Amino acid sequence: MSITYLEAIQAAQDRALAQNESVYIYGQDVGSFGGAFKATKNLAAKYPGRVIDAPISEDAMVGSAIGATAEGMRPVLEMQFADFSTVAINQICNQAATQFWRTGVPCPITVRLPSGGTEGGGPFHSQSMEAIYAQYPGLIVLTPATVEDAYSMLLEAIAIDDPVVFCEHKYLYYHLKADQLPSKNLPVGKARIARAGKHATVVTYSAMVHEALRAAEALEEEGWQIEIVDLRSVKPIDTDTVLASVARTGRLLCVSEAFPWGGVNAEVIARVTAEGFHLLDAPPKRLNAKDTPIPFHPDLWKTHRPASQSIAASLRELLRY
Amino acid sequence: MAEADIKDTNPESRDSASKYQTAFRYMLLARIFEERAASLYRAGKIMGGVFMGKGQEAFSVGLGLALDHHRGDVYGPLIRDQAGRLAFGEPLIDAARTYLGSVEGPMRARDGNVHRGNIAMGLIPMISHLGSHISVVSGRLIGKRFTGQTGAIGGVCIGDGGTSTGAFHEALNQAAVEKLPLIIAVADNQFAYSTPTSRQFACKDLVDKAIGYGIEGHSIDATDLSLCLDTFEQAATRARDGQGPQLIIGHLLRLCGHGEHDDACYISAEKKQQAFGGDCLDLARQQLIEQDWASLTDIEQWTAKIQEEVEQATSSAQREPGPDPFQESWQALSTQRLAEGHTRA
Amino acid sequence: MALIPIQMPQLGESIAEAVIVEIDIEVGQQVSADQEIFQVETNKAIMGVTPPTEGQIHKIEVLADQSYPVGATLGWLEISEENAEKLGVSDTPQDSTGSQPDETKPTDAAQIPLPVTPAPSTAATATDAEQPLTVQPTVEGLPVPATTTGATYLSPRMKARMDELGLHAADLSGIAGSGAAGRVTIEDFERFIAEIDKKHRTAASPMRIAVADSMRRSWTRPLATVGSPVRLDTLLDHRKTSLPKPGPTLYIIRALAIALAENTAVAGRLVGKEIVHPDAIDIGFAVEVDDGVMVPVMRDVDKKPLSELVEEYSALVEQARQRRVPSDNQKKGPGIATVTNFGVFGIVWATPIPLPEQNLVLGLGRGIKWPVWNEEQEKFLPATEAVMTLSFDHRILDGGAAGRLLSRISDLLQEPAAL
Repeated sequence: MSITYLEAIQAAQDRALAQNESVYIYGQDVGSFGGAFKATKNLAAKYPGRVIDAPISEDAMVGSAIGATAEGMRPVLEMQFADFSTVAINQICNQAATQFWRTGVPCPITVRLPSGGTEGGGPFHSQSMEAIYAQYPGLIVLTPATVEDAYSMLLEAIAIDDPVVFCEHKYLYYHLKADQLPSKNLPVGKARIARAGKHATVVTYSAMVHEALRAAEALEEEGWQIEIVDLRSVKPIDTDTVLASVARTGRLLCVSEAFPWGGVNAEVIARVTAEGFHLLDAPPKRLNAKDTPIPFHPDLWKTHRPASQSIAASLRELLRY
Repeated sequence: MAEADIKDTNPESRDSASKYQTAFRYMLLARIFEERAASLYRAGKIMGGVFMGKGQEAFSVGLGLALDHHRGDVYGPLIRDQAGRLAFGEPLIDAARTYLGSVEGPMRARDGNVHRGNIAMGLIPMISHLGSHISVVSGRLIGKRFTGQTGAIGGVCIGDGGTSTGAFHEALNQAAVEKLPLIIAVADNQFAYSTPTSRQFACKDLVDKAIGYGIEGHSIDATDLSLCLDTFEQAATRARDGQGPQLIIGHLLRLCGHGEHDDACYISAEKKQQAFGGDCLDLARQQLIEQDWASLTDIEQWTAKIQEEVEQATSSAQREPGPDPFQESWQALSTQRLAEGHTRA
Repeated sequence: MALIPIQMPQLGESIAEAVIVEIDIEVGQQVSADQEIFQVETNKAIMGVTPPTEGQIHKIEVLADQSYPVGATLGWLEISEENAEKLGVSDTPQDSTGSQPDETKPTDAAQIPLPVTPAPSTAATATDAEQPLTVQPTVEGLPVPATTTGATYLSPRMKARMDELGLHAADLSGIAGSGAAGRVTIEDFERFIAEIDKKHRTAASPMRIAVADSMRRSWTRPLATVGSPVRLDTLLDHRKTSLPKPGPTLYIIRALAIALAENTAVAGRLVGKEIVHPDAIDIGFAVEVDDGVMVPVMRDVDKKPLSELVEEYSALVEQARQRRVPSDNQKKGPGIATVTNFGVFGIVWATPIPLPEQNLVLGLGRGIKWPVWNEEQEKFLPATEAVMTLSFDHRILDGGAAGRLLSRISDLLQEPAAL
């Protein structure tokens, strides 16, 4: 048996719906159509009335989900593309994220963001929004890189009492396969060492984990052993695991598909320099997408975002220092 | 509040007299409390702002009384709904505590003034982004539908300015699609802060929007308490009966600034002489006397009692401790293990 | 015709910018290749800037009294095609349209005039130079400076590891770095430590460590040494007739004290932009002990004649040899200069290092009797001479001043009875 990243997301929602009566799914085309990417395939038929088509109203989708939590519900929202979640940013960041702090009443919503670039996606179907949401207090932001994480972390996201922004990567939907779904996994909030090494640390997440792994393979032929930390969750960041890795290697490269200004890379580097300055034998580096909107043409897009070749080049530069 | 004698002997008339009287006293309580809050603001005792419902009390109390939180009804008030909040059942002390920054208040001094609520009671703590509370109330109704809580309805209030937001549109359309038992009260008080309605919308009456959403609409003179009470009561009944969202436009004039920091210089004196320019509280007082539902002496007694009640609430809240930054948890998550207590910087 | 930039020249090593002090030309003026058209001042000198070839001044881009980085465009010169070809710039834009040269040129940060100091409020020189753009960094290239071979540059991790092990940069001088610009990486360092661990090691004595620490601190300064011969005959004669007999070192101490009292600045220390003068003429002298050196101090040596110093000196020498110098001897610090008589080891010349708190160390080599030509008698006569050395912080003294101080001491030593 083989299961894709996308099927894992469908399976997690299936299981959540089966296990918990209070779970429902709300989003555009998620009902009988099964979602734009088929992440809710067959669920509407299996759970009548609990997998609901929403109007193209991201703000109202999230607002109503927030209200439903007060009645004991655990809504799972699908944004058709992460890019469109900006329409709901007020409800996510101002309403949902502040609720527990303001009132003491938790707000367990899960907002699924089909994130990141694919060939031909263009400026408005390719964005990585995690840094924007991570900036707001009161939100948890998850960025699974593996089929196993997509499954177990989505289940955990639905179970968490706080609002969770679940950034699932569209490029991994079909490209990534696993033999089976996990029975147990690392909890949310813990990073994973995706590859052990001793010469440099790459801290990354989501689809970039796989690009970094390819870069590490290329560098292995040159005699370098690269350690790769998959953050899994960008809020909270597992700073301890990152620092422990930098303690082993002394060199840090942060890789993210998001735009360069601020963001997860900047946050990781700030923490490592503030708390692990004495561990650094070279200035930390970061590699992001370019500081332009995301291009439509595949040839441009491939250069716009970090890829194994550019990660390898950055690593060589870092190792030369 | 003490009940006053109602002299009418006709049972139906007696009921409406009693309801009118109750509504009037909530309006009076709201007015007197807000005036006290305004004076505390000017004395520097209240930080942030005071937002008054002067002129909107009748419309506000109409919705508040039409909802019953004991039946599971949900209320999403906005900034000029002190009367509606009291009618819905929010204790006066919650308002005093939130305005005065007491940690005993429902927002524990983390949020202030009109941004208070009680989620368990069905009272939505509004955020400042207009229109965004409507879909939250809708969501509670969706949740009730899922959990089989039948018979409950929701009510939200918003101003004329708030109808221009995308959130308002999205929420009304969503409520219509879902056929939710939701009353949307729009207080058209002729100004959004300083912007007149002519710069806010181009339809003749906001009630025209109801047609577009496919919901029922009503447009009333919101200075008339009787009309407000009846309209909201009927709307509540229709909503409970499954008639879907009810849009009620109340025409009135804001008789104060946007907040106590605003002298409302942009509202001309003539406005008050024109249609909907009257003070609903004065008009209701006249009505009480004319209908012989209360005497001047009754009203004086109520006023004195209410003043005492307000004094008690504000002075009690002032004696209570403010927040202690060193006791504050500084955690925004309920899931402790995922909180970044890490902020070691 | 072609337009070429007139650039701020490279005015010497380490000079990044210079101030325009004079603009000697006007727009439209014909200039020759060797004509000085701008006067610029660096912190070392005033220099004239010349155009790369003859031509006509087209535009002046700079203001007087402002600083501009090396490579900045100071102005534009209109030159003949022939000259342009000679310079290999014939493809520079033509000025036929009369447009601004910097608009037609491809963007090149170094070509844009970048004043380093804020524009003066009085735009004194009425040139048509445009208002300055924002300041841009003038340093580019590797994050590690190019001249950091070895352990002169320490990464945060290197610094932390060295602190942990109690090491100093000087301890790592044996490591050839493999990092950028030859810096020592943490891997280089750990390899070195692992190598060291394999070797035979003994603990250095506290005295050795104290001397090492003192010398390492002192070595952070640019030290220099000069030396000149001094005749010792009169001194030695005087010594024979004196009772008790002063050691030769004491004569030097006394002579040095008198010379320094005449001009305390030479024994001063440079701190920031100030010379800190000594407040008393206290002189130390080096005494060799087991595995190190001790430097007892004699206070106010300028105020006491030689005869009064002999007893104190002899006592201190004895105490130092037994490493029993009273602790209050060092209370007021190590003095302002040290005298070391390395001649006792048979050494004729040395470059001793002054204590880190001092500017001067005066050394005396072994006395040698040899023939010296006597002009009056027109023959060689035997004379005893030794080389006297003076090591000093070159930031404070130059060779001339050091030589004059030596010469004055030498003169004083020729009249030992007056000491």
